[in-house]
Amino acid sequence: MDANPIAIAFAQTNWGIIVLHIALIAAIGATGRIAIPTLIVIAATLAGIAIFPKRRILIFVTSSLLYVLIRPFRLDGWTDVVNLQSQAIEASRYLVQIPSVIMFLIFAVFFLKAMTWAPTKMMAKRPLISLYLIWTVFLLLAMAMPKGSIAGAFLWTFVGVMVSCIYFLAYSAVDERSKVKTPLLAKAGLMRPIWGGGSTPIGKSFGYLNKFDAKNAEELAVTRLKAVKLAVWSALLAGLYYAMEYVARDLYELPTLTTSILANAKGESSIGLNWISLIYNYFLDLVIIAAWGHMIVAVIRMIGYRIPRNTRNPLASRTLAEFWNRYHFFHKELLVDFFFYPAFVRYFKKSPKLRIAFATFCAAGAGNFLFHAARDTHIFVDNSMWKALSMYQSVWIYFLALAVGLIFSQINPYKIKPEHGFFRYEIVTRLNVCAFFCLVKIFDGITNVGTLSERTEFLTSLVFL
Amino acid sequence: MAQQSIKDVIADMLAARGNTDPIEADEPIFTSGLLDSLAATELMMTLEGDFGIDLADADFDISKLDTLADLENLVKQAA
Repeated sequence: MDANPIAIAFAQTNWGIIVLHIALIAAIGATGRIAIPTLIVIAATLAGIAIFPKRRILIFVTSSLLYVLIRPFRLDGWTDVVNLQSQAIEASRYLVQIPSVIMFLIFAVFFLKAMTWAPTKMMAKRPLISLYLIWTVFLLLAMAMPKGSIAGAFLWTFVGVMVSCIYFLAYSAVDERSKVKTPLLAKAGLMRPIWGGGSTPIGKSFGYLNKFDAKNAEELAVTRLKAVKLAVWSALLAGLYYAMEYVARDLYELPTLTTSILANAKGESSIGLNWISLIYNYFLDLVIIAAWGHMIVAVIRMIGYRIPRNTRNPLASRTLAEFWNRYHFFHKELLVDFFFYPAFVRYFKKSPKLRIAFATFCAAGAGNFLFHAARDTHIFVDNSMWKALSMYQSVWIYFLALAVGLIFSQINPYKIKPEHGFFRYEIVTRLNVCAFFCLVKIFDGITNVGTLSERTEFLTSLVFL
Repeated sequence: MAQQSIKDVIADMLAARGNTDPIEADEPIFTSGLLDSLAATELMMTLEGDFGIDLADADFDISKLDTLADLENLVKQAA
């Protein structure tokens, strides 16, 4: 469709633009993964950009500011925290949330200003580490506040807003060094872009988006056609996900992975059911992450930025490193940009293998753990320090195993090549990748459901141990 | 053996990944996905080993390596 001259010509007409926008909104609405008010905000923003293309940045930054004020959090856990904190001080949720978001946006402006005021200081050289340190100070302050206090309510909300937006701010800070300058206030306003998503910045920052900006009307038409194609893919994948859920849960009452882990611990499961549950969970996860990522990238493309897909055929991967690149591209980029490269250029420069291994550990292990651990700190609000820390007991195994697997994948001198035969090159390599990611998923999750020993028991049950 | 130019290094990396199309000087190489982060580490090691560029000393910023023009500038500055 995006290579067809008739479709490209039509996409440049007023009717074509209207049809493409309606098709995109219908497709992402059909995914069922987006709330109606958010869909309305996206539709209004896209319509505004289509009518006033020269005001594109102003329109989508304004929408994003509105969005961050109303829905600053990426996890329901943080929304629950704000609800409980505001109830405790007998205030409405928005009376606590909106001032906290405004305080964070003011902080973001000053943080970005600091990049040019003091370009040689640590804050400018290592923006994410600096942001983590500042955030930790606020977290400790929030934890020190008495329960039900006004200061506690505002501090916890600020901590939640900051950790939800921290990577967007870090990317904007890095942007300050780039050649293409975007107004600072616009950068500070892009803390919760209207295209939604989690804490991982899909589309990174203005500096990144500008590299993919359509240069003329024809490129914009092609980009919009690609957006619609991706949105339709997203809807189809979401449909597949719901069908898989229906077949598994309603027709065959197949338990979820967590339910299987708990049932296995009580001796109420079988090895066959454990394997089916594990593999089914793996495919469900792949389908939903692809549907979700395609939806977000489709909206960004409709605005005119032809960024790469977030998920690109992960089942085609022959190595663990390749899978990581194809499965959740922008999350991998975040870890590579802020953890891998900084470690790679600084440490173990005389030993190439150790250098790659350490940098990979910093990204896939330590950085990935830090990302998830910080994102989920809402569990500290209502749990004692030890209980909250105990919820991380299995997830560090997940990140450690992931890091070890990726290190091995990169430094292993023995690579399977086409000359090793079709079966080994095309089948065995891909099955190995699937098996690894299937198995490490057993330990994925910051939760008090399924302890480390229950998860380990589940793993061993798969091989009759 | 004469040292390869940075343009040839990139062309070889792209060819090894099945891409033999010529690239423009200002075309993003890594952010566009033409080359992945593994190729970026390979390139960084080449810049250090073959071109004598200490990326840590240069206050490394990955966006400085994203286009052929960026890379040629980096090599020129180090020469």
